[in-house]
Amino acid sequence: MSLEPFNRLVKLAARAFYDDITTKGDNQPKTGRSDNRGISVVVLDALTRRQWVREEDLAKDLKLHNKQLRRMLRFFEEEKLITRDHRKETAKGAKIFSAAVAATNDFHHTGKEGEEKVKLHTHSYCCLDYAQIYDVVRYRLHRMRKKLKDELENKNTIQEYICPNCSRRYTALDAIRLVTPDDDYFHCENCNGELVAESDKLAAQEAGDGDDNARRRRREKLKSMLQKMEEQLKPLADQLTRVKDLPVPEFGNLQAWEARAHAHARGGLGDGSSNDPSKSSQGYGGTPMPFLGDTKVEVAFGKEEDLKSETASTSLKVLPPWMIKQGMNLSKEQRGEVKEEVKMDGTSTSSTVSDDKKSSVNTDDKRSIQDEYVKAYYAALLKKQQELEEASKKQQELLISNTSNMDSGTSSARQVGMKFKREEDEGDEDVEWEESNVTSNTNENYKVNDLNVQAEPSGGDEDEDDIDWEEG
Amino acid sequence: MFFHITLERNMQLHPRHFGRNLKENLVTKLMKDVEGTCSGRHGFVVAITGIENVGKGLIRDGTGFVTFPVKYQCVVFRPFKGQILEAVVTMVNKMGFFAEAGPVQIFVSNHLIPDDMEFQSGDMPNYTTSDGSVKIQKDSEVRLKLIGTRVDATEIFCIGTIKDDFLGVINDPTTS
Repeated sequence: MSLEPFNRLVKLAARAFYDDITTKGDNQPKTGRSDNRGISVVVLDALTRRQWVREEDLAKDLKLHNKQLRRMLRFFEEEKLITRDHRKETAKGAKIFSAAVAATNDFHHTGKEGEEKVKLHTHSYCCLDYAQIYDVVRYRLHRMRKKLKDELENKNTIQEYICPNCSRRYTALDAIRLVTPDDDYFHCENCNGELVAESDKLAAQEAGDGDDNARRRRREKLKSMLQKMEEQLKPLADQLTRVKDLPVPEFGNLQAWEARAHAHARGGLGDGSSNDPSKSSQGYGGTPMPFLGDTKVEVAFGKEEDLKSETASTSLKVLPPWMIKQGMNLSKEQRGEVKEEVKMDGTSTSSTVSDDKKSSVNTDDKRSIQDEYVKAYYAALLKKQQELEEASKKQQELLISNTSNMDSGTSSARQVGMKFKREEDEGDEDVEWEESNVTSNTNENYKVNDLNVQAEPSGGDEDEDDIDWEEG
Repeated sequence: MFFHITLERNMQLHPRHFGRNLKENLVTKLMKDVEGTCSGRHGFVVAITGIENVGKGLIRDGTGFVTFPVKYQCVVFRPFKGQILEAVVTMVNKMGFFAEAGPVQIFVSNHLIPDDMEFQSGDMPNYTTSDGSVKIQKDSEVRLKLIGTRVDATEIFCIGTIKDDFLGVINDPTTS
């Protein structure tokens, strides 16, 4: 895992250079209780264990106040150790990030995902920038050594001047054009205040001493300082040389990293069908190398595309019964009769289960339910038809027997006959109405007439009119 | 440091100068324009030594001026960091002293003056050693080392030191 040497470098650098940084302002009293020097080391160590992380989450994990952490991170950003990204997000976006984090973290990330606010908040994310850290640490060491060496060899730095009023800095190079006033001092350009020479010499200037002695003492002091520095920074320098040839771990832009993390999570779920997102992190592995991530993304997307194409290939679907209107030309498939034939072998439930196994989960669940419903409907339909036929036969017999008794009922017999025909014709389509009419006798005829008028206004109008008249 | 280089410049000439003495007029104008100026890249142009080539003149649209591209050789002076040169003190100040080495001004801050020399104000402010053997005042000649140069578009400033070996006053005006 190439992260390890880089993480070690970060930890060494943090302990070497940043272990006395506090988050308190300089004017606040640093009491023993509230002194938090060295917290920056903790923060940097925490960042070595994460990649892109939301600052609020980091604060929660480290049990720091948001503002304290933010101040620290701002300091690190200025030191070029981390990169930050601020973006406006809704709760949805923040959740996506949390999912991405959960997929790549080695431990369970227990963030409060459900409590994000609805409005667009600016979320800040930060990540260690390893390439920059390497450069920055090297530059720092170089500058430290250069300063000491220059002092030692008396290379003579350029004098700097500061204005005490507006604290504007000038160098001796600027001094030439600041000298116009008559008196002996340099004046600031803005406020005309007297400039004070800034003594940036490491070795204290000892005034009034013998020339050689003072110089020798200074030289020795500088030499010992340089020696001590080299000795104390040796592990850091060694780590730098070790890391020099290794490829730098690159997490990329926040969006790119998020996209990659999502792809991994999805790929992991598809392979092992495990619900735990942390499991997929094992498949993702510890090395967040970009090229690895890319290939996995392709695979995941390919799978999804295959699934989608499968579902799209089926053209006509079985129509649910509530969609079937009268007069629709239903194809066999739409009526579901094709499927019915297939499933005639066993019970309906078992065949639907087998169907499930064949194709993808989502669409076939719906289909199986539809199939079952349709089958049940048609079964019921058949049943009712049979019942109706029986009932109508019974009715016919009854009426015939009635009319045979009555003399004046010749016309009615004819009516009955005609009515019977109509009833039988209509039996197929008006199941519900026929059922209710089976019970009563003469009244039923009247009702049937009316109902018939409503059901089929086109057919048999004249007959119905005649019937009405004769009845009245 | 001095250099002898070839530079090129586009000279514009008014038609009244046309005639037999066109080239001479051109050269005179060039010398007037260029000598004594300073460019950031080349340094101070001290003197033009010769004209290498005068190109074909191009008449400007609208006006009657003609532009000639002129190549000329000249001596330039450009100071570098780390260079050692002699300069003449022009002003002594509590913050240091100013010296001139030809066209370039050099400032030596008191921090780069040896510690044994102290500032003494008066009508003739100077830096002098405790035993009075060495004195730096106006018109003294000093040898100094440049530790920094600032190059603007048309100006060059320098910063120097006399704290190293073999640097310091060469010639005391009072004693000479």
